[in-house]
Amino acid sequence: MLARYQAHSPPQLASAEQVGRFLDWVGASHVDEKEDARNAIVAAAGNQAVVQALIAEIERVKAADQSRALLALAILGETKNAKAQEFFTAFVWRTLPQQGTVIDGEIMEQTQAAQLQGKAIDGLAYINSDSANKVVLDVIAHHPSKIVRAEAINAYLWNHGDSVEARKTLSQFVRSDEAILLDRVRRVTGESAASFNAKLARFLKQHPEVIPPDPERSKAAATPAQPQGRSLPPPAL
Amino acid sequence: MTIIRKFIVAAIAIGTFGVALEAGAVCNQTAASQAETDLWNTHGCWTDFFLWQYVAYDLRGGDWTNRGWNDACNNVLEYPKHWNAAYLLTYGLLDNNDQSFHGTVDYRATAEAVSSNFHNAIHDSVGDGTALFGSYSGGTVTTYCPLYDFTWQNANPGSRGGDFQHEGWHAWMEKYNFNNGDVGGHRPGPQGACTINSCDYFYFHGISQYVFGDMWQNDGTANRFHSPNQVQVEYLCDVADQSQSWVPASVRLAAQTDANTRAGQRFINGPGYTCGSARPF
Repeated sequence: MLARYQAHSPPQLASAEQVGRFLDWVGASHVDEKEDARNAIVAAAGNQAVVQALIAEIERVKAADQSRALLALAILGETKNAKAQEFFTAFVWRTLPQQGTVIDGEIMEQTQAAQLQGKAIDGLAYINSDSANKVVLDVIAHHPSKIVRAEAINAYLWNHGDSVEARKTLSQFVRSDEAILLDRVRRVTGESAASFNAKLARFLKQHPEVIPPDPERSKAAATPAQPQGRSLPPPAL
Repeated sequence: MTIIRKFIVAAIAIGTFGVALEAGAVCNQTAASQAETDLWNTHGCWTDFFLWQYVAYDLRGGDWTNRGWNDACNNVLEYPKHWNAAYLLTYGLLDNNDQSFHGTVDYRATAEAVSSNFHNAIHDSVGDGTALFGSYSGGTVTTYCPLYDFTWQNANPGSRGGDFQHEGWHAWMEKYNFNNGDVGGHRPGPQGACTINSCDYFYFHGISQYVFGDMWQNDGTANRFHSPNQVQVEYLCDVADQSQSWVPASVRLAAQTDANTRAGQRFINGPGYTCGSARPF
């Protein structure tokens, strides 16, 4: 199947009717096709019909297919379109579900909606205008979901080069019990061990309180050890 | 060819036997998420792989009756979705020792059935219900509808494989006789930075601190240790940022979202790491 995949061949994105097929393609796209996708989106960024169709698709799948809703939000965010900003601004403040299926004390419908709002925040932070940043800062200070607040902090910092100035700005808005999120360690694609480990060492020095206690041994009798079995090699890809 | 036939016959025989024992599944079996389908389309239903996978994960037909046991290429059903996640886990990672948290050898040994340094022998089952993503008890890993129903945010191959890590790590805890808490093998919450009622500690470690194959190691202290949610987050992060070039964007994006949500919500001493760029796409 992979051998037959036609790389670097994004479909057209010039009309509302083409949005569905483009989302199909972008979802299946490979790591090295990211720029192909971005270029296609930039070319369509001013096309109001495309933007409206992306918004319509988000509304259609937001409770039906999280992976497609995330993709559509991501594509819309790349457009930096004024209508997209308007949509994101309203979307991030939609009321989160307060009832639903509970797992580990977490309302799944609430988490689902909050994850999508977090992706919308990525779009606003990427626009990086005064008006968009105002919304991001307001979310950091006042949004009811930690998922959304945390992503807003992450996205604001990323879009400001993780600068000292950006941290200073955020420190005026971040909740006192979430100040640690300003220093959270981010691992990005292709980052070397040296780079990541230096960031982690700095974080742990800044926040010795996050070093966990030693693990506890169980009081129950230990499970008898079994002899090692033989792992079957999978078929060659 | 003969061997494959024997496997197929065995699978059908086991599955048929299971019909008499099992009621019909109640998980939503009408569709698959885009991430599911996008990954599926990279292999198009690979017979050799699923015939290997059911043995490697010790899947038993009686558990998977009416869930695709005899319909392994129908990707709206639970068993095809289970092996689709295993396909990602088996082949989808880059395994760069200078960039990845852990290697395929670690994630496979945690998820697969065979007794090893990672755990005693386990087997993978499936259950109806929406109160859990997964569970581990007495050598059995059970995964539930929220990992399969396409409308749920965790019904994608990355999140499902992440749960294989999580539950497999409970088996690791059992093997090495650690007590991670009394709330389903976790600590009560909310407490500290953990906002839900099932919390772990995050045992921060650098990249390359564990040679591939050594994730099972511990020294009995917080210096060299993992919790179930931590191995899950690290796997999801590696899917998001350190995957093979062919792993679809929808799979990587869903994994990144799950990783960042968990890292922010489930650790007493959190947050765990943030995975990936915050650029929209």
